[in-house]
Amino acid sequence: MKDQESIPTSKLERTAHFVSTGVKIGGNYVKHYTQRLLNQDVTKEDLHKDNADDIYETLSHLKGSALKVAQMLSMDRGLLPKSYQDKFQLSQYSAPPLSGPLVTNTFIKSFGKIPSQIFDSFEIVASNAASIGQVHKATKNGKKLAIKIQYPGVANSITSDLRMVKPIAVRLVGLSTRDADKYFEEVETKLLEETDYQLELRRSIELSTACKHIENLHFPTYYPEFSSNRIITMDWLDGMHMVDFLATNPSKETRNKVGQALWDFYDFQVHTLKQVHADPHPGNFLFKEDGTVNIFDFGCIKVIPQDFYKAYFTLIDQSIYKDEAKVKQIYEELEMIHAEDSQKEIDFFFPLFKKMIDMLTLPFTVNEFDFGDDSYFGGIYQFTEDLSNMKEIKESKKARGSRHSLYINRTYYGLYHILFDLKSVVQTSKKLELV
Amino acid sequence: MIDKSAITQQYISYMLENGKKPVSIYAFSKILEISESEFYNFYSSFESIEKDIWNNLFVETVETLESDQTYQEYSSKDKLLAFYYMWVQKLRNNRSYIVAQKCQKSNSILFNNESLESFKNSFYKYLEQIIQEGVEKNEIKDRKFLTDKYAHGFWMQTLFILNYWIKDSSLNFEMTDAAIEKSVNLSFKLIADNALDSLVDFGKFIFQKTN
Repeated sequence: MKDQESIPTSKLERTAHFVSTGVKIGGNYVKHYTQRLLNQDVTKEDLHKDNADDIYETLSHLKGSALKVAQMLSMDRGLLPKSYQDKFQLSQYSAPPLSGPLVTNTFIKSFGKIPSQIFDSFEIVASNAASIGQVHKATKNGKKLAIKIQYPGVANSITSDLRMVKPIAVRLVGLSTRDADKYFEEVETKLLEETDYQLELRRSIELSTACKHIENLHFPTYYPEFSSNRIITMDWLDGMHMVDFLATNPSKETRNKVGQALWDFYDFQVHTLKQVHADPHPGNFLFKEDGTVNIFDFGCIKVIPQDFYKAYFTLIDQSIYKDEAKVKQIYEELEMIHAEDSQKEIDFFFPLFKKMIDMLTLPFTVNEFDFGDDSYFGGIYQFTEDLSNMKEIKESKKARGSRHSLYINRTYYGLYHILFDLKSVVQTSKKLELV
Repeated sequence: MIDKSAITQQYISYMLENGKKPVSIYAFSKILEISESEFYNFYSSFESIEKDIWNNLFVETVETLESDQTYQEYSSKDKLLAFYYMWVQKLRNNRSYIVAQKCQKSNSILFNNESLESFKNSFYKYLEQIIQEGVEKNEIKDRKFLTDKYAHGFWMQTLFILNYWIKDSSLNFEMTDAAIEKSVNLSFKLIADNALDSLVDFGKFIFQKTN
């Protein structure tokens, strides 16, 4: 992997990057409308592509939380026009590595020893980059290990980075500023949690132990004795990233097997553990030819509050719609409509939310669901496009949707998209127990 | 038996406990339980002790680094990074003293502080070697007139890091690590073959053409 030649040094410099992106996006719009005047053939796709290029270029110069936000945005692919999606997907795999001396220094600070004094072998060149750290390969007692090292000062820069990303993100996904505040607070909390490697280590051990019984999944063993505030040591797992896995042309059975394992993993977490690995981007899974999946990186865990869980999953049951008052009450609990909304607003949003929820919960309502079905995803895509073009939504300054739904929706969007890419048919008939 | 290192240690403790220099060399020699004349066998003044403290930190850092096999194989950039990380580790042991110095001399620690002089001279020598290696390995671009100035730039960078570290209140001085990583990355980008060289080259070409 090539070292990035420079990292923007100061907050000022990072801001400058964002400012220039803002300017470029502005420019792209101007270009778009001028071209439209001259040439009717220029599509909105072209504009989106120009914008995605410029934004990606900017984000790729930044590390840490900015990269994370890029990942978040690319996760919510359903909410983003297609051309943004492809660009952001790139940011999920590679970020520039940190220098060898810094890696050594981190070990000295954590353990008072250099890597070669702890491990039998240690590769000083990172084998891959995570969004707030990088992973090194090592061996000890004949075991292959993966060592995740966090960039210094990540936590300190998250808050300021987010403040800079916000205006761009707001523009990208068309959120109102008030919506953004609520959600950005949630994102910030989660991002700060991700920098807490002690917490991540604890959760990784807890969750991987709790999910051990699920078929066709593998989790690494974690080593607290070689972990610290900035380092997590676990078993090295082999496997392919999704793109490479799909390139091997896996059989229908294998794809179903993989998809089923992932589905069961999420189902068990959401409905039994009530806390979920909320970062289902393809980079966190490694697939194997025999249809098993390796899962690691429990940095982002969303604990699902009971009230939210109950309201959210009650809506899966279609029969509830016979009782309109009850539905309204649930929508209010989920903050999708508000007590002070006018009848006109309620009449407008009610059917929209129903349609959205029906779409997203469709897989839950049947015994078996074919995630490879293009029309299903086309439908979701079309619907979100329509939503983003609706005048009433653009003009609505009210926040709609609970902050908890942010990561839960993201989790399901992410999962569905992985299953869509895998073209898996999954047995989804899990009986929900709502207490 | 008294020696240089015992004197510097005693000087540091005196400064830390009293917040100021000893009133005279006579008084300090008394604390050391040596005669004033004996003191001059080691140092000529308090200033020379202060210079030595900084220089010793530097010498220790380089000695530790050079005893490490992997350091020898590093690129110039990584060598300098390793130097800064190790140096800051060594500074930790004397943080109180350094911070006290800084307070006493207000902002003067940044530039022209006399007590940094021996350190500066040794550092320049050390850099000379690193820069030469970098030029040989094509890591650093040899530029007429400018190459000699690189060392000065790195000295400024050292002062920047020192200042950053003094003000750093993050746990384990984590932000200083980030500052080192980022600033060294930047400076090596500046002294590598870069866009500026192409610009100068192009400028020259156009100039020749039009003449």
